[in-house]
Amino acid sequence: MELRLIHLYPDLMSLYGSYANLSILKRYLEGLGNTVQVEAVAPGGEADLSGADFLFMGAGTERAQKAALADFLRFGPTLKDLAKAGMPMLFAGNAMELLGASITCRRLPAGSPQREVFYECIGLAGFTTVQEPRRLTGDVYGHTELYPEAVVGFMNKCGVIFGVETPLLSSVEMGWGNEGQGSPEGFHWKNVFASELTGPILVKNPRLLEAAAAAVYGYRGETFPPERPRDTWAEQGFAVTAEQLRLRCEK
Amino acid sequence: MRKFLAIAVCKLARFVGKLVGKGSSMPGKFALKVCPDILARVQLPEHIIAVTGSNGKTSTVEMIAAILRAGGKTVVYNEEGSNQIEGVATLVLSHSTMGGRVKADVLLIESDERYAAKSFQYFHPTEFVVTNLYRDQLTRNGHPEWVYDAILPAIHPETGLILNADDPLSSCFAQGHEKVKWFGLDRCAVSSDAPTGVYHDGAFCPLCHAPMEYDYVHYNHIGAYRCTQCGHRKPRTDYTVTAVDLDKGIVTLDGGIAVTLAFRSIYNIYNILAAYAACRECGISGETAAGVLSGYLLKNGRMQTFRLGAHHGTLLTSKHENSVAYDTNLRYIALTNKDCAVLVIVDAVSRKYFTSETSWLWDIDFGQLDVPHVKRVLLSGRYSGDLAERFSFTALPPDRWSVQPDIAAAAEELRSTGNEDLYVVTCFSDRDKLLSRVEKEA
Repeated sequence: MELRLIHLYPDLMSLYGSYANLSILKRYLEGLGNTVQVEAVAPGGEADLSGADFLFMGAGTERAQKAALADFLRFGPTLKDLAKAGMPMLFAGNAMELLGASITCRRLPAGSPQREVFYECIGLAGFTTVQEPRRLTGDVYGHTELYPEAVVGFMNKCGVIFGVETPLLSSVEMGWGNEGQGSPEGFHWKNVFASELTGPILVKNPRLLEAAAAAVYGYRGETFPPERPRDTWAEQGFAVTAEQLRLRCEK
Repeated sequence: MRKFLAIAVCKLARFVGKLVGKGSSMPGKFALKVCPDILARVQLPEHIIAVTGSNGKTSTVEMIAAILRAGGKTVVYNEEGSNQIEGVATLVLSHSTMGGRVKADVLLIESDERYAAKSFQYFHPTEFVVTNLYRDQLTRNGHPEWVYDAILPAIHPETGLILNADDPLSSCFAQGHEKVKWFGLDRCAVSSDAPTGVYHDGAFCPLCHAPMEYDYVHYNHIGAYRCTQCGHRKPRTDYTVTAVDLDKGIVTLDGGIAVTLAFRSIYNIYNILAAYAACRECGISGETAAGVLSGYLLKNGRMQTFRLGAHHGTLLTSKHENSVAYDTNLRYIALTNKDCAVLVIVDAVSRKYFTSETSWLWDIDFGQLDVPHVKRVLLSGRYSGDLAERFSFTALPPDRWSVQPDIAAAAEELRSTGNEDLYVVTCFSDRDKLLSRVEKEA
């Protein structure tokens, strides 16, 4: 297949090695014999989302996130239609917050006359985010209903997300979820994957990479090949982290 | 009475701590419990210099102290690196009289960037050096703008800021501030035309988020930036490196003062320049500063040389979770142009807390090692699988890098093979795991 992946705002929303999610998906799909092209979309830039096979946006600073949102709103109606039609997409880090109904920012400069600022988001889902003045950080160990292995990662956010009905991680044994410590994390609906877990979660979680790749095949109406290349180093990295975090969960 | 008691408690705890070989922040912690506003009650020196930023704090402070002392000033500073309020309290009170007068001409403080506002709630620096702000310890710091916001309340209107003109983010501290002096590098031999690295934090203006343009950079996005919309741009510098000759190891300050580099890295140049700027602001002559800085060997142990078998080794301490620190050291290796091996160790991500977070590896430009004279790269430590995955995305041919998770085995492998120069790139948290297996040089 000739596949087209779209990277939304790669320079603006680029914290924590987010870009590697797309790098590894591209290599994985190429390893399955596909030709893969990645298109970057900058704020204000032209983009034809409808013909894409995968959309990706990574994490940014809170100010960068608002700058991205200001541009991203123009894609809202199209993106909602595409998501409904099953287009695969990943929104990593605080890019996830843009899919919800709104962000209320309570982290304002000292001396600001306002107590909070309200931002309307694209409303693909009904969840809402409240950004607090404190940072919520720490390792995360949880589980998804997509596959039996654990999901590992690190949380580094200031947003508390309320009202997610279909989380990506249905349970979190250790660390921050959407609403607090130990609450379900992320968002998963049809082929939309979203998680506030930091950085390259598809690198850290080889099974999640498979799930994203399978979604690409499914969207094209193709069978996901049963024989697939294994990424030994990623598997080893996952095994070490999963073991370390599991041991901490058991303490 | 509480003031007297707090000073006495601090001095006593400091004395006991020194006997048992620890406790540079604990005495201050005790003193703050006795008298929470003790730092507002002491009589401080005429000059209070603070240094903060993502990189270069410790080195810059060390050089400032050396220059000021050469200029005849008495200086007290937190040599042990305890850079939060408790450490500052220990520093101040252990060097004060029982009446609370600090016995020095200059109080010099390395300040943790996240906690600067807390450290300076009871007094403010007369000179405040901000070396730079970029991705560093994201697990603790969030991101550079978050750190910027944390430092901002620490800046008093009367404080003289000494800022890095080449850093688009930390230069924003000058917004609305009257007393600002700038240091920076002119376009020179180490400059390139466009930002380097695997991400581009300087792509958009930190003030208005419009795209930025660059006339040149010295590393990553540090250089001559221009916002295309709001006018934010590299300002005219007051203290300037006007020429760099890395081959000869000489930099020229302000067009006429030559300084010989003990370590030929761009970081060292910025640290030297920041120290020079701070000392000039305290009335030290350029010649005195240059005399100290020429050939200055840092005592903080961040660069050490050793032997391992037939290899001459150099440890380039690079903070884990700090991609620019890694990039700078990798660039140093890439510019050596002499056959070498490189050992990268990631075993404990942090020495202060446990985490398995390795996203920061993806922010490092390991592709810089894809030069002919880097003959082999060995990856080691608990997270060598994550490192290897990152390396699998570089252009380095697979036959030039390998993995040995066990650090002892990696050291043995190097000891028993080859005689090329060896560079070890790792963090404080992991360096002793290698240094304990080598023969250190003086």
